[in-house]
Amino acid sequence: MLWSRRSLHALAGVYALDALDEGAEQRRFIRHLRRCKACADEVRGFRNVAAALAFATAAEPPPALRNRVMAAVGHTRQLPPLTAPRRWRAWTLWSPPNVWLPRLAMVTAVAAIAAVVVLSIALSDARQQLASARAHSQAIAAVLAEPGILTVTGPVTTGGTTTVVLSADKRELVISTSGLAALPAGKAYQLWLIGPSSTQQTAVRSAGLLPPAVGGFTYPVTASGLVAGDKLGLTVEPAGGTNQPTTTPILLLNLPVKA
Amino acid sequence: MDQTDPDAPWLASAPPRQEGERDLNLLLRLVAVGDEHAFELLYRQLAPPAYGVIRRVLRDPAQSEEVTQEVLLEVWRTASRFDPAMGSAATWALSIAHRRAVDRVRAEVAAAGREQKMAWPDSGPKDEVADVVEASLDRERVQRCVGQLTEVQRQSITLAYYSGYTYRQVSAAVGVTLAAVKSRIRDGLLRMRDCLGVS
Repeated sequence: MLWSRRSLHALAGVYALDALDEGAEQRRFIRHLRRCKACADEVRGFRNVAAALAFATAAEPPPALRNRVMAAVGHTRQLPPLTAPRRWRAWTLWSPPNVWLPRLAMVTAVAAIAAVVVLSIALSDARQQLASARAHSQAIAAVLAEPGILTVTGPVTTGGTTTVVLSADKRELVISTSGLAALPAGKAYQLWLIGPSSTQQTAVRSAGLLPPAVGGFTYPVTASGLVAGDKLGLTVEPAGGTNQPTTTPILLLNLPVKA
Repeated sequence: MDQTDPDAPWLASAPPRQEGERDLNLLLRLVAVGDEHAFELLYRQLAPPAYGVIRRVLRDPAQSEEVTQEVLLEVWRTASRFDPAMGSAATWALSIAHRRAVDRVRAEVAAAGREQKMAWPDSGPKDEVADVVEASLDRERVQRCVGQLTEVQRQSITLAYYSGYTYRQVSAAVGVTLAAVKSRIRDGLLRMRDCLGVS
């Protein structure tokens, strides 16, 4: 029994590399994983090594692939989240259940490699983006943690699109864009929350500037203080931003927030 | 923040590592609620390693593209099932990528099976280098750690991961017992894990 368990344990590496033949042995190992914390731990670490091996052999796919994937995304329905406490079940195929280990992801090789890739793909300009994403990441995570978040997308009249993820409960939103026209020096895109004109106090409020785009995309930014009837507006303003819009909005997006 | 060493600016500072992970995790959470722009950003970071490893396993470029597309759509479709407490977004997505690639290989081998039974496992490893995006650091770092493996560990891991062999096939190709393959792979991965984790 001891021997058998030890030999099962030794399969952690094989399993993590998807090298276990399908069949009885695989099923036994997966069952074993659910009881063996040390094995689960080990498999997780080995998956990280495997991901590092994938990064090490990274190859740029043909550009056409991106277009096909993005087109397919447009008409592919996403799975809704699983409801707790069965969440781990979906993971058993690639990773063992982890109910005993509430700790967050450790600093892994993958993180390091991913960061290197992130940083080496994006140029110095992007470091700023990362910094900005970093600064906002907690706020964004907070919005995303809300129940009942919605996603709204709208076209920008001068080209490109804007995506808004909003939490109606917390009255907060996360905004990202793609394909916006490049601006001349000294100009920036500014976001606005535009309320129903009758309520003077909440008529038009700045929701901040968009960060410079990286490869056509802007990293997500957050805005708060959403009220019922607000629309999201976008204008081109002087680089530092203004108190009130000085140009015609190139985006007016209805935000579905009830009073 | 100015970096004095343009070749390896991020080596010096620890913070970007975690940020890189958090950044991908965050993007994946946005993807989970239908943010296509976040998905584009995620694509830029994960498509190259996914395509790279799939191509390494499958070899055929057209087929590799097809499987990469499936994998990325799978990431889009199932993003809500990602739980950062279980590991990083990159590991999650690249596990899907590798799994899909070996599933494809094994399905084909099973179909071709009867007449060409011996051909596939005996074709042997080729350490060819795929056309690489970022030559540089990440690759070097992993290769440095691979370099610390024993030759038999390296061979077993390479056959299993990059060639998509099952460990039985590795055993047949290398001519050692299953038990030996198991422990070579596990010992090698332990060493890699420590090597990558430390520096």
